[in-house]
Amino acid sequence: MPATDYQESSSSPSSFGFSILSRRRDQVHSMESTHDATGQETELEAFQRQVAERFQDLAAADSHELLSIPWIRKLLDAFLCCQEEFKIIVMNNKSKLNKPPMDRHISDFFERSVKALDVCNAIRDGIEQIRQWEKQLEIVLCALGNQRSIGEGQFRRAKKALVDLAIAMLDEKDSNTTLAHRNRSFGRHNAQKEQRSFGHFRSLSWSVSRSWSAARQLQAISSNLVAPRGNEIMSTNGLNVAVFTMNYVLLFVMWALVAAIPCQDRGLQTHFYMTRQFLWAVPILSLHERILEEAKKRDRRNSCGLLKEIHDIEKCARHMNELTDSIHFPLTEEKEREVKQRIEEVRRVYDAIKDGLDPLERQVREVFHRIVRSRTDGLDSISRANSHD
Amino acid sequence: MEPPESTAAEKVILQWDSTASEDARERMIFTGDRQEIERYLDAVDELQKAMSSASLSDSSSTTTSALQIAMARLEDEFRNILLSHTSPVEDEWLTESTQLEFASQEFELKEEIAESSSDKQFEHQESNSSSCYKTTSSIREVDLIPSDAVYDLRCIAERMIAAGYLRECIQVYASVRKSAVDASLKKLNVEKLSIGDIQRLEWETLETKIRRWIRAAKICVRVLFASERRLCEEIFEGLGNSADDACFMETIKSPAIQLFNFAEAISISRRSPEKLFKILDLHDALSDLMPDIESVFESKSSESIRVQAVEILSRLAEAARGILSEFENAVLREPSKVPVPGGTIHPLTRYVMNYISLISDYKQTLIELIVSKPSTGSRYSSDPNVPDMDLSEFEGQTSTLALHLIWIIAILQFNLDGKSKHYKDASLAHLFMMNNVHYIVQKIKGSAELREMIGDDYLRKLTGKFRLAATNYQRSTWVRVLHCLRDEGLHVSGSFSSGVSKSALRERFKAFNAMFEEVHRTQATWLIPDTQLREELRISISEKVIPAYRSFLGRFRSHIESGRHPENYIKYSVEDLENAVLDFFEGYPVSQHLRRRSDILIETRYDMLMADLISRGQTSVLTVQSSLRLFPNASTL
Repeated sequence: MPATDYQESSSSPSSFGFSILSRRRDQVHSMESTHDATGQETELEAFQRQVAERFQDLAAADSHELLSIPWIRKLLDAFLCCQEEFKIIVMNNKSKLNKPPMDRHISDFFERSVKALDVCNAIRDGIEQIRQWEKQLEIVLCALGNQRSIGEGQFRRAKKALVDLAIAMLDEKDSNTTLAHRNRSFGRHNAQKEQRSFGHFRSLSWSVSRSWSAARQLQAISSNLVAPRGNEIMSTNGLNVAVFTMNYVLLFVMWALVAAIPCQDRGLQTHFYMTRQFLWAVPILSLHERILEEAKKRDRRNSCGLLKEIHDIEKCARHMNELTDSIHFPLTEEKEREVKQRIEEVRRVYDAIKDGLDPLERQVREVFHRIVRSRTDGLDSISRANSHD
Repeated sequence: MEPPESTAAEKVILQWDSTASEDARERMIFTGDRQEIERYLDAVDELQKAMSSASLSDSSSTTTSALQIAMARLEDEFRNILLSHTSPVEDEWLTESTQLEFASQEFELKEEIAESSSDKQFEHQESNSSSCYKTTSSIREVDLIPSDAVYDLRCIAERMIAAGYLRECIQVYASVRKSAVDASLKKLNVEKLSIGDIQRLEWETLETKIRRWIRAAKICVRVLFASERRLCEEIFEGLGNSADDACFMETIKSPAIQLFNFAEAISISRRSPEKLFKILDLHDALSDLMPDIESVFESKSSESIRVQAVEILSRLAEAARGILSEFENAVLREPSKVPVPGGTIHPLTRYVMNYISLISDYKQTLIELIVSKPSTGSRYSSDPNVPDMDLSEFEGQTSTLALHLIWIIAILQFNLDGKSKHYKDASLAHLFMMNNVHYIVQKIKGSAELREMIGDDYLRKLTGKFRLAATNYQRSTWVRVLHCLRDEGLHVSGSFSSGVSKSALRERFKAFNAMFEEVHRTQATWLIPDTQLREELRISISEKVIPAYRSFLGRFRSHIESGRHPENYIKYSVEDLENAVLDFFEGYPVSQHLRRRSDILIETRYDMLMADLISRGQTSVLTVQSSLRLFPNASTL
């Protein structure tokens, strides 16, 4: 490790007759302040390269992989890695980060990262939402999956679950009116009273207030995010590029999460600062473009999330609906085969979600924790560098 | 195709098929006649029996169809029973539970629970639910739904689960109960706030919210969630597939996350000293709740809730530690340079001492949380910005927290020392240190907790420190003044018998008068807020100045009085000075100049009078005392 080598060599001339303790302090000191230009540059360049590589890797995903649960998990992995590397840079540059102009940049970054925490929480709610749909698929599988013979009763049961699924998947704003009939197989006069209580239920699926908006949150994260100017890059030895990079990664990852997963007031029109001067900008902007294209596709335009598995739910539910509508009893052999086929499709979708959501939720939580930790540690070490300057 | 024939059971089911008849749509079975309920349930049982005994091929489609109709019906009945027992009940017990503080009420409530659970119809219920509310003494489960309705619910759940309709059953249950729990949270003022919302709020507003949250969290965990869990158990326990756990989690997960999100947001808010105590309140409350949280959320499926609570608790602990070190930093670096007028107690001293006495109020928690020693001067011994102090002598005999308190006092003094340098007058600098360290000592002595933690050793050091400051003050002010009253330099060795230089003597008197007037004028505006300390210092000044002046006067008065204009040189009597000393350290300018002996008022104090009398050679103390008694106008003596 070049950084360590440097540290050792620089500390030896200054170690005349001091106590071990003060010498250690000296080492830390020298590592920061006289941090040799080339040492810092290699560290910062390595960071740029690693970020670029990670996102090139993510951008290499084909259209089947893109926005799938495994891809999202890979994206979050990439974020965690970048965050870790960035944290080391912060630790190694404490004393620079508490002086202008870097003090402002780093505190901006920490402010943005706090905003990302709310996105993480909203995403957690969204995952919970998808879980509700998973439950309806489970009913469809129960009804039609394990039966020795399939009769009208089973189909009615499946159909009911599919209706509930469709209602649940409607976007928040359209759904409240239909909710009175949620789960009901027949209407009743006290529908109004129920509507009220189900209204409660709907609002409860989000743990933030109704006025909270993912779109606005992204807007807040992206505001004033512009690439550093040349002279400032020079004067900070490129340190502000690292901060900008991390900001950009944070914004993109949060944006992609909001794109993929249902949450309150999704909106993808967040402005992305166009810059191609950085290695990582090309893959990130290409991903941005591809995700936007996905959002514009006709069958996805009204979707409550671009997650591939959500699309799969929609597709298999549509197929099942078509099938149940066209069915007559007794089933012909051909129909029975079709039913089996469709059920297999539902099962595949169901399994992918069932196996994918738990680790995804844990990972979102991990992202939350790491953001908190890096902010606390960062603020702490910078303020400490301040006090002992 | 018509079904060949319907069994009696199927007929009952079809009679209640809401898609078939208006009547079936309008009426609910479970709100009606008990017999009808039994008849319907029996029919469902029979249908299931027929299903399971039927072989592969001949399980007739009418039977499965009838079963599906029955299940749809039961699902609606299940929902209807749940819905009819949501809001009204909860209204009562929520308000009731807010008054749980009162032991008697607690007792009544417990009894009520015990009663109601004892007439449960299910045999297994009793043992289980009672064990449930004995787990922790603070958990108080209430009946969310009356036992007869619970019985009906369980009857339905049993049949739905047996027919493979578990998922539907959970779905209905969770959706209705969740909305009930949500309504309760609203009633408890558990708001939906994002981290951003919370970061934007003023700290004072948040303090109120924290207080409210603590109250709400207790009710949520101990009453609301605990009762929900028991309800799940009453209805679903033993029906397989850990249906009770699943129902509980699906009901409670979002509300629990909503509840804990607030505490989480507080735990990650920016650290600043004023937040410490509310953070500790939150920490203590959550820490108190932990056993209950662990018991209510003990199942594997609710692990994430448990984990989040533990995470928040440790974050709050970390925040408290962070704030304390932040505070130490702030005390060390507090930058104000403008000297406090009159050398009185600096606002920083008051702030820090109030802060650490509050710390001592929270010592039980903080002793557990603060485990690492302060990063003291020894590590930075070459650093002039950090006091050089070795805390090792206090280690072992006291807690780490106490070491921090001692360290905070040390850096406070260090900072004050720095501030004292901004006084132009060295005497005032000493007085300032005396005042402030004395205040520190008084604050420590005033709190038993603080005194115990700081310990007598360090307290002695502090006392020594302010006494030294007092001595330094006296030296720097009075040595100069007393210098005028020395004998050296007045005697001239010559042929004259008197041997005293009149001109030198006159200069001495003049110099003394000028200096004393100056000291009197300035130091009357200085302030010692502590009356006892003020008194002591004045006495100490008097003890030095008065006898010296008296004897000087005694020895040389005649030399002046024999010359011209003696009043120009002997301007003050001994009691004038004694009175003048009383003006010292009151904190406001004296309105007149030093009062001459002619102006002396009746207010002359007994001891001064005595001194004066004695100095004039009126010796008998007795006489003085009696004359005092007889003549109120004592000064005329």
